[in-house]
Amino acid sequence: MAVHDVTASATGAEHPAPVAPALHPPRRRRRTWRTLEPLLWLGPATLLILTMVVWPIIEMIRTSLTKVSSTGLSEGFAGLRNYTDLFAEGDLPGVLLRTVVWVIGVVTVTILVSLGLSQLLNASFPGRRLVRWAMIVPWASSVLMTALIWRWMLNNFYGVVNRLLMDIGVLDAPVNWLAHPGQALAAMMGVAVFVSLPFTSFVLLAGVQSIPGEVYEAARVDGAGPVRAYLSITLPLLRPSLVVAAIINVINVFNSFPIIWAMTRGGPGFSTDTTTTYLYKLAFDNQSVGESAAMAVVNFGLVLAVVLVYLRVVRRQEDTA
Amino acid sequence: MRAERYSVKRHLAGLAGGTALALALTGCGKGSSSDSGGSDGKTIRFVAAKYDDDTQAYWTALIKDFEKVNPGYRVNLEVVDWEQMDSKVKTYVQTKQEPDILNYNKFSDFARDGLVYKAQDVVSPKVLADFLPLFRQKAQYKGAQYGLPFISSARLFFYNKDIFAKAGIARPPSTWAEVEADAKKIKQAGYIGLGLPLGPEEAQAEFQIWAMNNGGGWTDASGKWAIDQQANVDTLSYLRKLTKEKVTQPNPEATNRKDVFNQFAQGKIGMLNGAVFMRKGFIDPVDADLNYGVAALPSKDGSTHKTLGVQDYLVAFKKSDGSNKAAVKKFLDFFYQKENAARFVSTEGFLSVTESAGQVLSSDSQNAAYYKPFVDALSSAEFAPADDPAWAAVDGAVKQRIGTGVAGGDPAKVLGEIQKTAQKGD
Repeated sequence: MAVHDVTASATGAEHPAPVAPALHPPRRRRRTWRTLEPLLWLGPATLLILTMVVWPIIEMIRTSLTKVSSTGLSEGFAGLRNYTDLFAEGDLPGVLLRTVVWVIGVVTVTILVSLGLSQLLNASFPGRRLVRWAMIVPWASSVLMTALIWRWMLNNFYGVVNRLLMDIGVLDAPVNWLAHPGQALAAMMGVAVFVSLPFTSFVLLAGVQSIPGEVYEAARVDGAGPVRAYLSITLPLLRPSLVVAAIINVINVFNSFPIIWAMTRGGPGFSTDTTTTYLYKLAFDNQSVGESAAMAVVNFGLVLAVVLVYLRVVRRQEDTA
Repeated sequence: MRAERYSVKRHLAGLAGGTALALALTGCGKGSSSDSGGSDGKTIRFVAAKYDDDTQAYWTALIKDFEKVNPGYRVNLEVVDWEQMDSKVKTYVQTKQEPDILNYNKFSDFARDGLVYKAQDVVSPKVLADFLPLFRQKAQYKGAQYGLPFISSARLFFYNKDIFAKAGIARPPSTWAEVEADAKKIKQAGYIGLGLPLGPEEAQAEFQIWAMNNGGGWTDASGKWAIDQQANVDTLSYLRKLTKEKVTQPNPEATNRKDVFNQFAQGKIGMLNGAVFMRKGFIDPVDADLNYGVAALPSKDGSTHKTLGVQDYLVAFKKSDGSNKAAVKKFLDFFYQKENAARFVSTEGFLSVTESAGQVLSSDSQNAAYYKPFVDALSSAEFAPADDPAWAAVDGAVKQRIGTGVAGGDPAKVLGEIQKTAQKGD
């Protein structure tokens, strides 16, 4: 608005022609209208952001500083009690460590596989359209359903995975895959990669398609082989797509709830929890909504920090490049 | 854009634990009216727990009858699955959208926070006197009755007679040593010896059954939390031993009750602690001809055999102007009429909590034979300390942790962690 005022008075100065005093008030009114006009366009969006994004965050922080009774009633200011309680939980270090493994593992594997898939989908071969459509399937089906189906397939009593492995003679007796923390985490990460692939592949595919063919032609004329062309042309030009894919995936995977909840509920005990399922358990099993809000704030801070650090690293690379 | 859409959903899920807004949104999604009971004093909202597929039909029919004999009164019914009950209830309370009547398994923290009516305010003295003393006593908070006993369940030991015959066992075990020995024999005969569900669904009940039959429990004689007492450590160590000997189903810490109940119904498990609704809910749908017997729960020394009693409640929430009280009372009195209450209990396969409905049920000879041992066992039943407001948190902690005591964790340490949770509430 300040900028607008300056330009308005500047244009006034360019026209020093005498102006009848009677004309002044309406014109000034029009001018204030002009200055308010952007507000009219920005207002609804700002309001939406304030109510849908900012308010819940404030509410979350406020709850984390409140003592909440087990029925859910607020019992006044609690100071940092919820945070000290949270950091005193013996399970927290394991949960945090697992969250890091979960996010880095899932996002790295997803992006590596998606890089390959996007190349594949970009190549021209008969039935390409069909394959592209097939890629959408894991995306179109419900995440919760996918996770539930995998839980059944891995089930100790009825699961098809055990049956298959026993029929081909790999196993003698059924294994309760989801009862062992390591195996369970690996299985859930597999499902998380599976459901993240479509989005990531299509973002990267869009990036690959936007690289003009002449660049490759020029490279070929200069004698670059396919590997060289990929490393020196494709990857650098894909950077914007990679940044988008990585950030959205980090946020998504960090906050991923349905897969873990449907497959193990973070169990046995707390041995496959990430921060997201852990904060749910704090609220609904341990009945401490305040402490859960504290976990949510920590979670929020972590996501923010990861994204900011990532952006900074990427920008620095761009500056040096 | 799908990714964005579910990132929003996940965000909501993530914040749900902490933010009133997310809770309010999920609550509003159901289109529930807020504090509607007060508007005309004749419309009430009833949130019922879903016991099985027959629950909704029962209530719909009952409400229809109620509205017919009480013209002008309306009951809005919402049936909620048990798995979502806790979060739903918390949402409603936190966003001040409590139903007028709630069917739930806890009541004491509502009473502590002054949210619910005393029982005497919402049912007639006749109904009040009809509750069996055992349940009435367990519905009290600080000397006053707030919960209205609704249904009850008891646990007994179920065993498969065919499997016992194949394993060469003559009679059901009475002591823990016999349980162990029989389980080994059953395993040799090619079946799962003992079903031991210590997964999060109902681990607190399974553990209490074993613990109280070893002289342990959740509290000591003075009523203080004593979850890490020696008797409990011994109990968990015994269950751990059974697990390590592989006479239970694999990984009890990750097995839920309904899985072993189903396995038992399919004739794959030799014995387990079963509940009264096992016949209606699990055995009959799978194999009505299953040859099984019901015995007392085994105890460590075999001298006394306690059963675990469980009861669910109805509670009536106070509304700002108190105008819902008359309609609530009308509806509750209607439900507690002996035929109506008896029909619910027999529909769902539970035990009656009122004298009159119990009499109706025991005149039904075909079912009475099955229910009799459970009813008899109730006289020596122990209950979870649901009258302590801290129980809700302890219950959650037990469900999460106790199973790890038979797997990776050390029993004493696991019980110590739960004890810490219990004392935090004080």
